[in-house]
Amino acid sequence: MKKILMIITFIMSSKALADIKSATELYKQPQSLKRDREMALELFKSKYFFSSLAFAKNYIAGAKDLDPEFEAVIEKLMVKTGTMSFSYMDRKILKKHLSSPTLALAYGIRMSQLKNWEESNRALSNVPDNHKFASEARMLQGAALNMLLKDNEAVQMYKRCTKVSQTIEQDAEKEKLGRYYAIIKESCFIHLARIEYRNGNYEQAKELYRAIPKTSYRFPFILMEKAWNAYQREDYNRSLGVLVAYKSPLMTSYFFPEAEVLRALSYFRLCLWEDSMVTIENYYKRYKAQSDVLRELLLKHKNSHTYFLKMAFAPIEETEKMHPYVRNMMTQIRKKIKFSIDLVAYKKAQNELKFIQNLPTSKLRNLMEGELKETLKWRTTHLNHYIKKQMFDFVNEIHKFSYEMFNIKLEILARKRDLVWDNKQLISDRSRGSHENLKRESDEHFYDFRGEFWADELGDYSFGLKSNCEKVRVGASK
Amino acid sequence: MRRTIIALLFLTMTNAIAQEKSAPKAAGNVSAPKVIYKYRQYEKFDLGSMEIKGSIVAPGDLSVKERSRRTFSRDLYDRDNFNMEVIEDIRNLR
Repeated sequence: MKKILMIITFIMSSKALADIKSATELYKQPQSLKRDREMALELFKSKYFFSSLAFAKNYIAGAKDLDPEFEAVIEKLMVKTGTMSFSYMDRKILKKHLSSPTLALAYGIRMSQLKNWEESNRALSNVPDNHKFASEARMLQGAALNMLLKDNEAVQMYKRCTKVSQTIEQDAEKEKLGRYYAIIKESCFIHLARIEYRNGNYEQAKELYRAIPKTSYRFPFILMEKAWNAYQREDYNRSLGVLVAYKSPLMTSYFFPEAEVLRALSYFRLCLWEDSMVTIENYYKRYKAQSDVLRELLLKHKNSHTYFLKMAFAPIEETEKMHPYVRNMMTQIRKKIKFSIDLVAYKKAQNELKFIQNLPTSKLRNLMEGELKETLKWRTTHLNHYIKKQMFDFVNEIHKFSYEMFNIKLEILARKRDLVWDNKQLISDRSRGSHENLKRESDEHFYDFRGEFWADELGDYSFGLKSNCEKVRVGASK
Repeated sequence: MRRTIIALLFLTMTNAIAQEKSAPKAAGNVSAPKVIYKYRQYEKFDLGSMEIKGSIVAPGDLSVKERSRRTFSRDLYDRDNFNMEVIEDIRNLR
C-alpha cells in the first residue's frame, strides 16, 4: 500500500514538474496582460490552482473583458479554491466584469455580506439559470428580495431556486455534490416558509416546513422554526412536542438555547407555571456551565490567529478532553457547509505549498511560494476568526436568552401575586395529559412517548396537556 | 459735700434694687392660691339625637372611590421573523 502511494506521489510530482517547466519559460517573458493570462492557464493545467489565482487576478484587473476560455478557467478556480478567492477582490474590478457569471457571483456575495441587497440582486441577475452557479445566485437573489420586503418577487425567485437546484442535483456526478444542491433546494423551500411566517400565514408556513424530509441536513435546524410556527398558532402542545426532539440522543451535539425559552413560554401560555419555572432553572444550570467553559477559552486565546483553527484540526478525543461542550461546539462548526468547503480548500493550499517547495529554485518558484504563504496566512486568520466568532455568538446567545428567561420568571411571579390579590387560584388539575387536548391534521401523527426516541418519529411528537388557565376562588379547585 | 451726696444716693439705689428683687418671693409665700383642675371622669354623647342644620351641597354619603390596581405586563420574547437565519444561510453557501 505504501509503495503504491509513493508511486502515485512520484507520478503526480513528476507530471507537475514537467508542466511547471513551460510555465517557468513563459514567466521569463516581459510582464504583460497576455503573459498573466497565459501563466494563469498554464498553472491551472498543472493543477497549481492557488498559484494560478495570482496571475488570473492580475489579468482580471487589467483586462477589458474576459474571453470564454478564461471564463471557464476562473469558474473552475472558484470551485477549487472557494468563493472567497474572488469575492474579496477590489469591488471596482469585480463590478467592471459583471458580464462574467463567476465574477457576478463573487460580487453578489460581497454585496450581500455588506447588506447592499439592491446591488447584490442586480449583479446576480447576470448568472443565467443554466449556469453552474445558478442555484447559489437564485438563492442569494431570493434572500436579497426577501430583505427588501419584495415578497412576491422573492417567492418567484425561491421557486426558480428550487427548480434549478433540483435539476443540478439530479445531474450531479458525485454524491457529495448532489447533497450540496439538495441542501440549497431545501434552504429555498425553508426561505419560502419564512416569508409566510413573517407575514403571519402560519398555516401555509406549516405546509412548507413539512416538505423538508427528516433525513435532510437542515431538519434539526428547522425544528425550532416549526415549534415557533405551532406556538404562533397557539398549539402549545405541538410546540412542546416538536422541541422534545432536541432531547433525543441523536441531537446531543446541537445546542439551541432558544428552544428552552420557547419551551418555557409554551408552558407559560398553558399556565403551567411550575413547569416553566423548572425549565428556567434547568436552562441556568445547563447553559451557565457551557457559557463559563467557552468564555474562559475565548478570553484566554482571543488574540491568537491560529489557536481555534488548530482545534478544528485536532482529533475529537483532544477536544473532548478539553470539555464535552467544546467537542460538541466543534462538531457543529465542522458541519457548516461554508466552513467545511473552506477547510478543504485550505488543506489543498497547504499541499500545493509542499509541491512548490519541492520544485527546483527559480524566480517563478520563489514568487509562487511567497504568494501561497501569504494566501495561507490570510486563510488561517479567516478560518480562525470564523470559529472564534461562532463561539462568541453562542456565548452571547446564552446571555441574551438568559435575560428572556428572567423576564418570564418575573411575569410568572407577577401573575401569582395577582391571584393572591384576587383571592383566586389556578384550577391546577394535575391529571393533565390527554389525547383530547391534541390538535392535529388528518395526516399528522401522534406517538406516545415512552422514554425512547425513534428517528422516524422525531419532530412528530405532541404533548396532550390541558390548559391550566381557568381561575377559581381559593379552595374551590378539585 | 458733693462727694457725700453721691455716696448717699448710691447707697439708697442699691438698697432699693435689693428690696425689689426679693419682693415677689415674699408676696407669693403669703397670698398665691393653689389651683386644682379636675376633669369629668365619664361623659356620654348621644350622636343620634344631634342635629345639624343646613343644606346639603355635596354627594349624599361618605364614599371611597375604588381605584383599579395597576398590573404590569412584560414584553415576553417573541419571534417576528427569521431574517437572521436567512442571512446565516446565504453566508453558509460555498
